[in-house]
Amino acid sequence: MGLWEAFLNWLRSLFFKQEMELSLIGLQNAGKTSLVNVVATGGYSEDMIPTVGFNMKKVTKGNVTIKLWDLGGQPRFRSMWERYCRAVSAIVYVVDAADPDNLSTSKSELHDLLSKPSLAGIPLLVLGNKIDKPGALSKQALTDEMGLKSIDDREVCCFMISCKNSTNIDSVIDWLVKHSKSKS
Amino acid sequence: MAQPLIKKDDDRDDEADYSPFLGIEKGAVLQEARVFNDPQLDARRCSQLYSSVLFRTDLGLFRVDSGYYQAFVSAESGRNLYKGQIEATEVFFAVTKLFQSRDIGLRRMVYLMIKELSPSADEVIIVTSSLMKDMNSKTDMYRANAIRVLCRITDGTLLTQIERYLKQAIVDKNPVVASAALVSGIHLLQTNPEIVKRWSNEVQEAVQSRAALVQFHALALLHQIRQNDRLAVSKLVTSLTRGTVRSPLAQCLLIRYTSQVIRESGGNTQTGDRPFYDYLESCLRHKAEMVIFEAAKAITELNGVTNRELTPAITVLQLFLSSSKPVLRFAAVRTLNKVAMTHPMAVTNCNIDIESLISDPNRSIATLAITTLLKTGNESSVDRLMKQITNFMSEIADEFKIVVVEAIRSLCLKFPLKYRSLMNFLSNILREEGGFEYKKAIVDSIVILISDIPDAKESGLLHLCEFIEDCEFTYLSTQILHFLGIEGPKTSDPSKYIRYIYNRVHLENATVRAAAVSTLAKFGALVDSLKPRIFVLLRRCLFDCDDEEPSEEPFDINSVPKEIKSQPLAEKKAPGKKQPTGAPPSGPPSPDDAYEKLLSSIPEFSGFGKLFKSSAPVELTEAETEYAVNAVKHIFDSHVVIQYNCTNTIPEQLLENVTVIVDASEAEEFSEVATKPLRSFPYDTPGQIFVAFEKPEGVTAVGKFSNMLRFIVKEVDLSTGEAEEDGVEDEYQLEDLEVVAADYMLKVPVSNFRNAWESMDPNGERVDEYGLGPRESLAEAVSAVINLLGMQPCEGTEVVPNNSRSHTALLSGVYIGNVKVLVRLSFGIDSSKEVAMKLAVRSEDENISDAIHEVVASG
Repeated sequence: MGLWEAFLNWLRSLFFKQEMELSLIGLQNAGKTSLVNVVATGGYSEDMIPTVGFNMKKVTKGNVTIKLWDLGGQPRFRSMWERYCRAVSAIVYVVDAADPDNLSTSKSELHDLLSKPSLAGIPLLVLGNKIDKPGALSKQALTDEMGLKSIDDREVCCFMISCKNSTNIDSVIDWLVKHSKSKS
Repeated sequence: MAQPLIKKDDDRDDEADYSPFLGIEKGAVLQEARVFNDPQLDARRCSQLYSSVLFRTDLGLFRVDSGYYQAFVSAESGRNLYKGQIEATEVFFAVTKLFQSRDIGLRRMVYLMIKELSPSADEVIIVTSSLMKDMNSKTDMYRANAIRVLCRITDGTLLTQIERYLKQAIVDKNPVVASAALVSGIHLLQTNPEIVKRWSNEVQEAVQSRAALVQFHALALLHQIRQNDRLAVSKLVTSLTRGTVRSPLAQCLLIRYTSQVIRESGGNTQTGDRPFYDYLESCLRHKAEMVIFEAAKAITELNGVTNRELTPAITVLQLFLSSSKPVLRFAAVRTLNKVAMTHPMAVTNCNIDIESLISDPNRSIATLAITTLLKTGNESSVDRLMKQITNFMSEIADEFKIVVVEAIRSLCLKFPLKYRSLMNFLSNILREEGGFEYKKAIVDSIVILISDIPDAKESGLLHLCEFIEDCEFTYLSTQILHFLGIEGPKTSDPSKYIRYIYNRVHLENATVRAAAVSTLAKFGALVDSLKPRIFVLLRRCLFDCDDEEPSEEPFDINSVPKEIKSQPLAEKKAPGKKQPTGAPPSGPPSPDDAYEKLLSSIPEFSGFGKLFKSSAPVELTEAETEYAVNAVKHIFDSHVVIQYNCTNTIPEQLLENVTVIVDASEAEEFSEVATKPLRSFPYDTPGQIFVAFEKPEGVTAVGKFSNMLRFIVKEVDLSTGEAEEDGVEDEYQLEDLEVVAADYMLKVPVSNFRNAWESMDPNGERVDEYGLGPRESLAEAVSAVINLLGMQPCEGTEVVPNNSRSHTALLSGVYIGNVKVLVRLSFGIDSSKEVAMKLAVRSEDENISDAIHEVVASG
C-alpha cells in the first residue's frame, strides 16, 4: 500500500463511516445473544431466554457500524441460518467450549453450513465461549474437535472467549473491525 | 419518486378509479430493486417498491412474476431461483432483513408483507423474536402492528408466553395499541378461546375507554366471550344501556345485542311494555345517524311489533328518505321496504317521499322505492309501476331482482285480478339469465300464485314446464316436478304435462330423473284415463334406471327378469332413447353399502375383509354395441374385485356361461384368485360377472387389465321366445381397465382444513416440487392433479379463479388402511404456460406421505 493510498484511507475514515454485516450462529445456549450484549453494552446477564427467530442489532465501534444478525440456535432455525449468512462480511460461529457432549453436533452443523455454495469464501470466526467454566477446552483442542484445519477455502480464525468475564472480547472486536476495512 | 414507476395508460381512461400501480413496468422495478443493495437503506424508496409488490400480491400475480421475483432475489444475493412457492419464501426472508430499518413507514410495510405472504408455520417463526421486541417497543405504531402480526402467526404455546403483554396492551393508554390487542383477541377467540376468556377483566376495563374505537372493539370482544351465556349477555346489555356508550359504533353494536336479548326473552310482550324498548326509542334521538338508523331498524324487526312501537321509527326513516346522502336514503327505503311486507299501512304515510325516489339516480334506491310502492300502493297504480320496473330490470343486480320478485308476488296476492300481467312478467324474467337464488324466488312466487289464485294455475304450470326444459338447477327441477305431481293431475287436461315430465327421464341427472319418475307415477295413480300410457312409460324407466344405476339396487336385478317375461321381448325402445349403459353414471357417488352387501353375499369374497372403496363404473364398451359392459373396481386390503355389469342388447341371442378372461400381464402385482361367471344371460337383463385378484397388502398396486368376454351364444326365436338347444362359443373384446392410485383413496372432507393440518405431526410432512410442463391452463393442471390423487378438495379450493397465475388447493382423503391424508398443493403458471407445483403431504403414516409423492412423481 503506497503512502498516498494510506493517506487517502485515513482521510476517508475521517469522513465516511465503515459498514459491516455479521451473522452470529451456533447451537442453542452457546452464548450468541450474550456476546451481542457484551459487544454492544458490555453487560452480561445469567438468565437469558432462547432466541426465537433472530435479533437484529446495530453496534458502532469507532467509525465502523456493525450490523449483527443474532440467530436462534434451536434445531428448527438451523435450516434458515444460510439465508442470513449470504453476503455478510464474516460468519461468527459461537461454540460452548465447556459442553463436550454437543461438540460433534456443532461441528457437523458448521461444516454443513460452509458447504453451501452461496457462502463460499466468506471469512469464518469461530469463538470458543465459556472458558471461565472448569473443563473448558483449550484453543488447540477446540480447533481439532471442530475440524477447523480442514477448512481451506476461506479465512478461518479462532478465539477463546468468556462473555461472562469479558475475556478476549477486545480481540474479537479488533478482528471484526479489521475485516470491515478489508471488505470495503 | 413515484414517477418512473408509473406509466400512464390511456386505454384505461374509462375506468372509474385508478390504481397508482397500474401499468407498472417490470424493468423499472428491477432497476429500482438496486436500493436493497444500498448499505444505507433508503426507507422511502423501499416502501414504494414494497407497495407495488403488495399490490401485485393482491392480484395473485406476484408469486409467478419472474420480474418482481428477480428484483427481490437480486436485492438479496443475486442468486437465480425458479418459479413457484419458493418466490414467496425468498421474498419473505428478504423482507425480514428490513427489520434493520427503523423507518416507521417501511416497518409497516414489513408487517404487511409478513401477513400477506403468510409463509408456512415453520418459516414464519423466524420473526417471532423481532416482533416480540417491537411489541414492547416505545413506538406505539410498532407495538400495535407487532401485536396484530404476532397474533396472526402465533400458536397456543407462544400465545401463553405473550399473554401478559397482550393483557397490558388491552388497557394501554394508546388507543391504536389497545384496539390492535382487542381485535387480535377477537381473532384468537376462534382458535384459543380458553386463553382469551381469561382477559375478561381487561376487556371490561377497555369498554369504559374514552377512545371510540377501543370501546367498539372491546364491546365486540366482550360480547363474543360471553355469547354462549345468555344471562351474561343480558346483564351486559342491562348495565350498558343504563350507562353512556360514547362511541356510535359501539352504540350500534349494543343496539344489536339488545335486539338479541329482546328476541330471546320474548313472550312477555302481552303483559305490558317490552323490555328495553325505551332504550331503543331513546336511541332514535341520538346525534349520530348510524345509531338512529340502527335503532329504527331494530324496532322494525321486533317480533310482533305494534303500530304504536313502530311509529317513531317510521318517522325517523321518513326523514332519511329526503336526506342528501344516498346511503341514508338507501338504508331507509330498504328498511321501509321490509316493513311494508308486514305492515303496509304503517309505511303509507311515507308514500309521497318514496314516489320521489323512483327517479333517484341510484338504481338500487329506485328499485326499492318501486317495490315498496308496489306493496303499499293501490290497484290503479300497478300497471304504471310495472312499466317502470320492466325498463330497468336488466340493469340491476340479482339481489334487487329478488326484491322485485317478492314485491310482485305480494302484489299479485293482494290484487288477484291483475294476475295475468304479473304472471307474464314473472315468466318473462324466468327465461332470462340469473343465479339460483333469483330463479328460486321466481319459481317460489309462481308456485304460491298457482296455489292461491285458481285462474292462474294452468298458465303458471305451463310456464314452469317450459322452465324445466332448460333448467340448470337440480333443486328447482325436482321442486317443480314434485309440484306438478300434485297440481297437474287436477287440471282440465293433465296429458299435456306428460311430455315435459317424461323428457326429464332422458335428459337429466339421477336426482331429477327420480323425481320425474315419481311424478309420472302420481299422474298414473290420479288420472285413470292416463294410466295405461303411464304404465308403458314407467316400464321403460325401469330398464333405464336399472341399467344406468346398477349400483343403487343390485339385488332387484333378480326380480327384473320375471317382469320382463310378462312383456313381449320385442317391444321397441322409445325413439331417441339412449343406449342404456351409454350415459355416464351420475348418481350418488358412494353406493358402497349396497356393494358391500352384494359382495359379502358371495361366498368366494366373504373372506376379503371390509370393503374399502368401490369406484364409479368405467365403461368398457362403446355406446350402441352388441354387449354393453361397464366395470366397478372394489378395493379391499389385499384384494381387488372387478365387477363387470353386462347387458345383452341383441334380442335374437341368449348367452350362457359368460365369463371375463382377464389378462393381468400388465398388472404384475395382481394374481387372479376367483371368478364368478354368469350362467345365463338373456336379452336386456343386466347381469354381473366378478373376477377377484390378490395383491400385496399395504402396497399401492396399480396396473392395466385387458378383458375379453367369453360365452356360448344361442339363437332365440323371437316369435316363440325359445332358445335353440345348441350354442356356439364366441368371444368379445372389451376395453382395458386400469387400477390407479386414486382407487386406494377415499374422498373424505374435513370441516376445517387448517385445524386438521395443524393437528397433524409436522415431522411426518413430506414436501417436494414438481414441474408439470406446459399445460392448457392453471385450472386444467389443478384438476388433473386432484383427479390423479382422487382426493376431496376442501373449502372450494378446486375452483381456480379466471386469469390467476397461482393457486393453492387443499385436499383431504383417507388412504387404504384408514390412514388420514391431507395435501396442500401450490401451483404457479408462467407466461409460457409452464406449471410448477409444490406438494406438501401430511398423514398419520410417513410411508403413506411418501406414497402420495410417488403417485404424483409417476403420474
